[in-house]
Amino acid sequence: MEESRNEQGKIPVGKVQRAAKFIKTGAKVGGNYVKHYAKRITDPSLSRDELDKNNASDIYTSLSELKGSALKVAQMMSMDRNLLPKAYQEKFALAQYSAPPLSYPLVVKTFQKYFDKTPDQLFEGFTRSAVNAASMGQVHQAILKGKKLAVKIQYPGVAESVSSDLKLVRPFAMRLLNISEKELSHYLSEVEERLLEETDYELEVKRSKEISAECSHIPNLSFPKYYEELSCERIITMDWLSGNHIKEWMLTNPSQKDRNRIGQALWDFYHHQVHELKQVHADPHPGNFIIKDDGSLGIIDFGCVKVIPEDFYKGYFSLIKKELVANKEELDKIFYDLEFISAQDSDEEKRFFKAVFKEMISLIGKPFHQDIFDFADDTYFDQIFELSDRVSNDKMFRKSRQARGSKHGLYVNRTYFGLYSLLNQLQAEIRTTKPDWLR
Amino acid sequence: MEKTTAKKTAKIDKRAKIIDQFKRYVLEHGKVPATVFKFTQELKLKEVDFYAFFSGFSGVKRAVWQDIFEVTLAILRSQEVYKEYSSREKLLAFFYTWIEELNKNRSYLLVLYGEQQLPQLSLPRELEGFRKDFKEYVKEIIEEGEETEEIAKRPYISEKYDEALWLQVLFVLRFWIKDQSAGFEKTDEAIEKSVNLAFDIMGKSALDTFVDFAKFLYQAK
Repeated sequence: MEESRNEQGKIPVGKVQRAAKFIKTGAKVGGNYVKHYAKRITDPSLSRDELDKNNASDIYTSLSELKGSALKVAQMMSMDRNLLPKAYQEKFALAQYSAPPLSYPLVVKTFQKYFDKTPDQLFEGFTRSAVNAASMGQVHQAILKGKKLAVKIQYPGVAESVSSDLKLVRPFAMRLLNISEKELSHYLSEVEERLLEETDYELEVKRSKEISAECSHIPNLSFPKYYEELSCERIITMDWLSGNHIKEWMLTNPSQKDRNRIGQALWDFYHHQVHELKQVHADPHPGNFIIKDDGSLGIIDFGCVKVIPEDFYKGYFSLIKKELVANKEELDKIFYDLEFISAQDSDEEKRFFKAVFKEMISLIGKPFHQDIFDFADDTYFDQIFELSDRVSNDKMFRKSRQARGSKHGLYVNRTYFGLYSLLNQLQAEIRTTKPDWLR
Repeated sequence: MEKTTAKKTAKIDKRAKIIDQFKRYVLEHGKVPATVFKFTQELKLKEVDFYAFFSGFSGVKRAVWQDIFEVTLAILRSQEVYKEYSSREKLLAFFYTWIEELNKNRSYLLVLYGEQQLPQLSLPRELEGFRKDFKEYVKEIIEEGEETEEIAKRPYISEKYDEALWLQVLFVLRFWIKDQSAGFEKTDEAIEKSVNLAFDIMGKSALDTFVDFAKFLYQAK
């Protein structure tokens, strides 16, 4: 951590420099492979794990010197734990918390530009340095009418650099996720769209208000109030939620009952969004959840919202019907609809991929097949990791000529894996609900 | 007494009026007026009155630069928080405010200093007054920084800091002139990064320790 903090200090300027940074890392990663094979010759027992660890650390060091979208991609990779070999996970988890700060005069300037007033004129108090870093901006604490507020300010130029940053991340994403160029492009357009939305703070305020109003009936949840008159393209002002992040809260040894209560609130929140609103807070990383002092679960940051198209929704969620795995024809149709397999596939490929996807579905759908599911069960998560490790290293997948799975699945999958791993962190037992049409 | 102040304000008004009308002329015609005679005639002013303040149009242009600088400083000094800033933050605040003032005059400045007109190495004579004012201002910042040890005192080099920061002003100016981004956000980034770099260089660094060590080795022989 110490080392990475230092790295945060210097941000390479300009695309050329950033590209140079990446090339340097590329060379290093290459070097790690050479080292690995050299070591392997002398010590055949050496596992891939160690190599992954070396790579993760180099790539992380490189990514930590960037901010904005590159950091966001690092975050995403750290989220998609199912896709990452275990050694990468911890390194990338670091990326979820740190980014270099904006100078206070620039903060003042941003305020003057949009409100014609300095923070001191608008608020009774305003912290001079950021109290928290977000991937696309930073958070200051302000006081207005005696009330604590959180003010998020976007880095200048983040929106314009999204596309070029994504291009830079490409080769690394390919190597890390072990997928082909084609497959990556298929998903990257979706990622770009979401990231661009995330830089639109006006949209974020609108969505935050909508979703928090729609979810206000769910017990044990709480949402900050958003202040539109103090928000704009680059600034969002909302209530300050005081409390602990999940990790800190777990250190206070909460009872099973409390953990279940928080976990259930989380589950109900996602259930309502996915099945009723058909749009979902698709950024379930631990920093976006705060367990408030009153014992409710506070939810912040609606920057990343995935709207789920109706036809995708039907296909995707019919997969969790238990009897479906047995019904071959219906299942085949869904596989085609969701682009898991296509007419171009050979018979061998069809057979192979169907088998893999079936295994995945029954595994991922497992919590839905029981009334109460214990997310504390680590063997369940190990099964998921084992399967995704196996899949990502499988020759058939690597050779595959096309991307598999609808691009809409990307964020929906991410959301569910995020949700599952949060519930795992909470060690919670959940009443897993299903929408009526699936019962 | 009353009479003299009245006369004085009239004088300032006239000067301000000439500057104002000059800017307006440049904006409307896309170029500097052909002669002072023609310009003053359109203004219904005596030619002599013009020469009482300026020796020519380059004098007016010079005044525009200095006015922008004065306004920038006035805005900075009116901000409570400015006094509490570190040297680094003061310079950042200066640039951000200055660029805002430039934005207000962008069309005028682009006519005169658009990409083609701004020479790469030398700079137009009319920036000379602004340069002098800026260097005076920035010297204060540097001294303050040296006191708080934000900036390292180095023999010979320290005397050149003000000149180096002036070069940074020109860098930011050139960057801003070419900036095509919405709301000139790229310029904001350029300021943030270049000022941070400048202060990191001026601050105490490994190089100082190295020089100190080298000196020790040399003397210990």
